[in-house]
Amino acid sequence: MFDKLQQAFWKALTPDLVPDEIKVAANPIEGLSAAMISALGGVDNLKSRQPVALTRVRVALHDAARVDREALSVAGVAGVMPLGDGVLHLITGLRAQG
Amino acid sequence: MATPQQLQLLAPLSGVLMALDEVPDPVFAGRIIGDGLCIDPTSSTLCAPLAGVVSDVQVSGHALTITSDTGVQVLMHIGLDTVNLAGKGFIRRVEAGQRVVAGQALIDFDADYIALHARSLLTLMLVVSGEPFDSLVGSTGLLEVGQPVLDVGVGVSPGENPAAAQGDAVFSQPINLPNPNGLHARPAAVFAQAAKAFSATIHLHRLQAQANAKSLVAIMALQTAQGDSVQVSAEGDDAEAAVEALTRLLTEGCGEAVTAPAPVEVVGAEMPNILRGVCASPGSALGQVMQIVEATLMVNEFGAAPPVEREALSQALIEADMALQHLRDTASGEAQAEIFRAHQELLADPSLLDQAHALIDEGKSAAFAWKTSTEATAAMFRSLGNALLAERAADLADVGQRVLKLILGVHEQTLELADDTILIADQLTPSQTAGLDTRKVLGFATVGGGATSHVAILARACGLPAICGMPMQMLTLDNGTRVLLDADKGELQLHPDAESIDQLRTRHAQQRQRHQQELAQASEAACTRDGQHIEVTANVASQSETAQAMELGANGVGLLRSEFLYLDRQQAPSHDEQVATYSAIARTIGPAHNLVVRTLDVGGDKPLAYVPMDSESNPFLGLRGIRLCLERPQLLREQFRAILACSALTRLHIMLPMVTHLAELRLARQILEQEAQVLGLTHLPKLGIMIEVPAVALMADVLAPHVDFFSIGTNDLTQYTLAMDRDHPRLASQADSFHPAVLRLIAMTVKAAHAHGKWVGVCGAMASERLAVPLLLGLGVDELSVSVPLIPAIKSAVRELNLADCRIIAEQVSNLESAGDVRDALQRFHEVKVDGSPVMEN
Repeated sequence: MFDKLQQAFWKALTPDLVPDEIKVAANPIEGLSAAMISALGGVDNLKSRQPVALTRVRVALHDAARVDREALSVAGVAGVMPLGDGVLHLITGLRAQG
Repeated sequence: MATPQQLQLLAPLSGVLMALDEVPDPVFAGRIIGDGLCIDPTSSTLCAPLAGVVSDVQVSGHALTITSDTGVQVLMHIGLDTVNLAGKGFIRRVEAGQRVVAGQALIDFDADYIALHARSLLTLMLVVSGEPFDSLVGSTGLLEVGQPVLDVGVGVSPGENPAAAQGDAVFSQPINLPNPNGLHARPAAVFAQAAKAFSATIHLHRLQAQANAKSLVAIMALQTAQGDSVQVSAEGDDAEAAVEALTRLLTEGCGEAVTAPAPVEVVGAEMPNILRGVCASPGSALGQVMQIVEATLMVNEFGAAPPVEREALSQALIEADMALQHLRDTASGEAQAEIFRAHQELLADPSLLDQAHALIDEGKSAAFAWKTSTEATAAMFRSLGNALLAERAADLADVGQRVLKLILGVHEQTLELADDTILIADQLTPSQTAGLDTRKVLGFATVGGGATSHVAILARACGLPAICGMPMQMLTLDNGTRVLLDADKGELQLHPDAESIDQLRTRHAQQRQRHQQELAQASEAACTRDGQHIEVTANVASQSETAQAMELGANGVGLLRSEFLYLDRQQAPSHDEQVATYSAIARTIGPAHNLVVRTLDVGGDKPLAYVPMDSESNPFLGLRGIRLCLERPQLLREQFRAILACSALTRLHIMLPMVTHLAELRLARQILEQEAQVLGLTHLPKLGIMIEVPAVALMADVLAPHVDFFSIGTNDLTQYTLAMDRDHPRLASQADSFHPAVLRLIAMTVKAAHAHGKWVGVCGAMASERLAVPLLLGLGVDELSVSVPLIPAIKSAVRELNLADCRIIAEQVSNLESAGDVRDALQRFHEVKVDGSPVMEN
């Protein structure tokens, strides 16, 4: 109980240091379309995502079982590489290089 | 003329096809190496697309070539620019020269690691021998590993004219390769392409080996490294033009960005007179070279019945454990014993044993199973991208080798050492170093290894000079070559002249004399000549170090790194254990001096097994120090409770690391006060913060009223101020605490603290540097917390100074433009004010 209070207090002081429980991820995410997010089990299932290695988006999911492979493919994901612990690489093709 | 036949190549990976033209790499897209296909992998084991012999596998494990019996050569290259990973993330499952069947696993790779650390995972399969082929798949779409993908026409190779023109070969001058990773696939392709433009027969030579310069695979098989000396030879009509053009190409880096190499010795001697590396343990020595070469062991893959092999393995493990225990018991110092204890723990690791047993049950021999499982685990350590774990991979390889020798019945040969030996090796293993006769060995120089490697630790523990990161060339030195090892400068001087030898001897004598004088005066106070007393305290991480520090004249402990209680274990230390440790240290110091305990300073860069945290892309900017402790307040609360238990034994100070906001200090103080209240303490210990984040140095005037003291951690303050990683291979030398920007932050901190009557210490590496003493004193620092062996030297440095002079020089150098200028100015100050002073001329 005390820890909870302290956490709240702490968060009020230093909002950057304490992560939000629910990640703000409603807006389109870099490299992922709305259809892809939905095929991954929705925003709530998404722990993190990161564009990597020119052609991939690395996503970490709470529950990898909620992924709909067919829907992903329809959404334009050319390949999926599951890596365990809820981490997947989605092959989405070459991004423009800056 | 052979009838053309078809050879079918199988997909080496599952994944998504990409048209070769689209590959974002001009060498591959331009088909300079060869034509083929590109796969974006979804599987993580590269399999043989054809049967043949592994004609080349890069040491770094990212590329491999297979040659079929009909001469078709297929190169597979995993990822783009993956050569820079230097093997991390790759596990080779085959060796060069090995025959493989189609579909056999060749290389396992950690796709996630590579995706996060290299440019791309795009994998190329190219027919480098140049035969035409038909594609059995489109240019896009999904592939399954093992699916037929290309039909290669065998026997229709364009073939080159092997008949060499008669005549004498033209040789180039030796060229030192400037490419950071030697001639790996891309520069080798550029070189071979250029060589093909000439009709002459051209060879590239490295030591005794030579390669057809028009063959990419042959060049790669030379396994060249940066700094290797190579030569080009050519025979034929345009030989001279070829040698000239190719020499220029090699010098310019074959299309890779390279830094200008050291000029080639005109005499033609391939070995420069001075080889340079990085200091791993300071000092210098004169001696003769002796090289340690590890014999390669022959291992049969298949064994007898599993029970027999299991028995052989467990017998070898028991013997290895006994041998390690013996080494531990007879070790000459704590550091050595500690390393062998760690080796024993590695041997007992259940996952290693599980892997080995699983392989034995598949019919493999004990030796093969053990070798495979230790190598795979070592590769995994290396792939985690953490320097410390990578060093532990060396330990695993060492202990793996020990067991392997026992299984195979190979006896350790004892090294016969001459007097005054300087050992050189690619890499020295802890086992090799620990058994050495330190009366005969004067120092080490290695190609591999780093400042945190066990070899460096052992060298420092024995007080032997050592350098690592030496060029490969060093390994070609003959045993018995006279060398001067100057670890302070990071140099190995070959065939030193009489003058250098004399200089070294004089320096040794002076150092010895000065050291004895410092030791004799260690217990005297550190007062400047104009009477200012400076506290010289110690940085410690154990009770024994504390005792040693007090003996060497420390005025207490300025930094107790409490992490030592937490590291290398599976659970947090119990309350009683913590209390016992803190109390023992407090008693050693006594009530007359300060004990500054820094609270747990860990984070993503030094993770704890029982404090799980998400991996961070930049741990130095992540949850470290107080940030982590406040995320897990229970950890901090328990630590405070244990520290408070020794508050009556010494002048107790508690210091918080990585503080950025005042709020962090307030929150920690609140927890501390609660814990003190629970214990019924009326008198709180002093509470201070470390100045490591530039923000708190800039805000020192706001923070000063709320703290009892500041202690400046110059290492982190420097890397955060200059935005340079202090372990970065190229930037580390510039990440220098003497930078005027860092000095200004120190000045700012001191001014703010003194305005509120608080003291300031420096506990970073800078305080242990003699040259920095006048500077820090001049900036107004009250306490220097230094590494234990240097306490007498720093105290003596204080006694040589006038505070008034220090203030003037400190103000002057803060206005200079670079760290180098500051060091030069301080050096001049030292020569004029210290060496030239009458006090020292006795």
